[in-house]
Amino acid sequence: MSLEKTASIVIIGGGVSGCSIAWNLAREGVRDIVVLEKDTLGNGSTGRCGAGVRMQWGAKRNCQLALYSIEFFEKANEILEYERDIEFDQSGYLIVAANDKEAEQFKKNVALQNSLGIDSCYLTPQEAQEIVPHINTSEFVAATFCHRDGHLNPFHTTEAYALAAERLGVKFYKHTEVTGIEVKEGKIQAVQTNRGRIVTPIVVNAAGGWSKDIGLMAGIDIPIFVQRHQILVTEPLEPILRPMVMGFAYNIYIQQVPHGSIIMGRSDATEPFDLRVTPGWQFMEEMTRTCGTLLPYLRSAKILRQWAGHYCNTEDAQPIYGPAPGLEGFYLALGFSGHGFMLAPATGRLITEMILDKPLTIDVSDLDIGRFERRELFFEYSVV
Amino acid sequence: MLYEKGLVPPELIDTTRPSPERRAKGPYAVIECFQEIPCNPCSISCPFDAILPMEDINELPRLVLDLCTGCGICAGVCPGLAIFIVDESKGDGTARISIPYEFVPLPQKGDQVLALDREGQPVSEAQVLRVQKGKKNGTPLVTLEVPRDLAHTIRFFKTREEQEEMIPSAQAALKSEDSQTNQELTILCRCEGITVGDIRRLIQEGYTTVDEIKRISRAGMGPCQARTCGPLIASEIARLTGTAVEDVEPSAHRPPVKPLPISFFMEDATNEP
Repeated sequence: MSLEKTASIVIIGGGVSGCSIAWNLAREGVRDIVVLEKDTLGNGSTGRCGAGVRMQWGAKRNCQLALYSIEFFEKANEILEYERDIEFDQSGYLIVAANDKEAEQFKKNVALQNSLGIDSCYLTPQEAQEIVPHINTSEFVAATFCHRDGHLNPFHTTEAYALAAERLGVKFYKHTEVTGIEVKEGKIQAVQTNRGRIVTPIVVNAAGGWSKDIGLMAGIDIPIFVQRHQILVTEPLEPILRPMVMGFAYNIYIQQVPHGSIIMGRSDATEPFDLRVTPGWQFMEEMTRTCGTLLPYLRSAKILRQWAGHYCNTEDAQPIYGPAPGLEGFYLALGFSGHGFMLAPATGRLITEMILDKPLTIDVSDLDIGRFERRELFFEYSVV
Repeated sequence: MLYEKGLVPPELIDTTRPSPERRAKGPYAVIECFQEIPCNPCSISCPFDAILPMEDINELPRLVLDLCTGCGICAGVCPGLAIFIVDESKGDGTARISIPYEFVPLPQKGDQVLALDREGQPVSEAQVLRVQKGKKNGTPLVTLEVPRDLAHTIRFFKTREEQEEMIPSAQAALKSEDSQTNQELTILCRCEGITVGDIRRLIQEGYTTVDEIKRISRAGMGPCQARTCGPLIASEIARLTGTAVEDVEPSAHRPPVKPLPISFFMEDATNEP
């Protein structure tokens, strides 16, 4: 398939965000949309993520974005007319507070979430144990739970968006790497790739771990830093862990997927800022210690595989949405700080509204790139 | 035939059949081992020295039928499940076949089962006469009563439960006469139960790397971690897309090399919480 010579919009990045943006734009009637992916769809952070989706956040914007997204996921198979299944399983998130300070923050989070229509609640360790039997209650002081949180299959979700977008005429080019962005008089002119050049007035940077590099090609230095995050997966087991169990200070997220495997991850603040995705031994030791202490009955579960992907972090752990100042036609949908998969429906909707100059479904004007210079930051602490 | 399809050709089968006199006399072993491999448990386990000692461990076993009592020890130790005990001495039109059977649960004495030929096709009903648990690490032997004229045809069986639980694709494969359909229904990824047909459809949909197929279908995500199916998927991609197999990117292999319990990585931890 030879590359298009012109496009009305070029989306860089075939992860779930890029695919969602493409579908939302096409559904609004935009034609000649091109998605460029240097590898295969979902090969970056999307296909390597922990696959959880939650509304239990500490920042109002994240709560709103997640609420919109979960309501979309609940109906996504039908809306996207997907023949396979995105496997959305709403068995909830149980989030544990490791200390009193965190428990105080959780009380505030629940109040915020409830005020936005998110049905979460604050629990004692004993109440938490009723939701997750066998959890080691001596390891935490309180918990919160939301039954509408859950997880879904990232590969199928991305495919669902991509197939629906393709039916609306969007062109996807896999194995097509962007090598340059042409800018003239403060306006986007064209995108150069290893397979040719596409003339376009609009570029959306949804390149996840590579979005900083894409920004530099257009002369925009985006304040994000990329870190490796690792995950391991066990052999399939009978259903024994229904909700996702998560702890921020405790540094764990762990869930059992419908297929039976248990997937768990944690973060490591000492990771260097680069694009490596090779698995590390240290993670295996720390992850198993954390899991084996909080959920001791999983100690005999066998590990099949570990892998890694990128977190594309911002300083406040909230995404950057919107146009890049001083460069007409360059839009940013990046810096999701590990949560791009779960926010993808909102991302697609909002970027579409911004490009088409429509009123925003959620006012994310304060999530622009300029907030870092203005120092108007609201820090999200509810992250692993 | 033997190397291409894994089926023993009839002329080789004929060599295992004793004289009519020996068949009428009592039980005997039938050794359907036709490939020279380094393996000798049958010859060293026979208490009657009926299977001759091997000078070279790659030799095929040689059975002296006059010394064989049909005791079944060799059938229980053969790792290839290639030895059967046949007893045609009843003279009432029936025969007994003892078949090594390594699935669980074992059938019970008195069960009706579906007897299968070497290709796995059903050929008759049969009754379980005896179930011998394997001694030491031996394979259990299940003795069936079958029509005598099928004594050299029947080599396996399915229990009632297995017939009911048989996955639809396997049922269709059993019924299908069409080799193309049979091939499509062949399981390619055994851990996740993905067929050759599933993989081919995904390749036709445009998924032309092993990793893409893995992510959509789970092929290669199971306990073997694509060690078995990965190269098979790569060869299907190569065939259907007209590329050389060495140009198909293999799936990423990640640690651990074999499944290991969580406790293995925890210092001073045991499996018992």
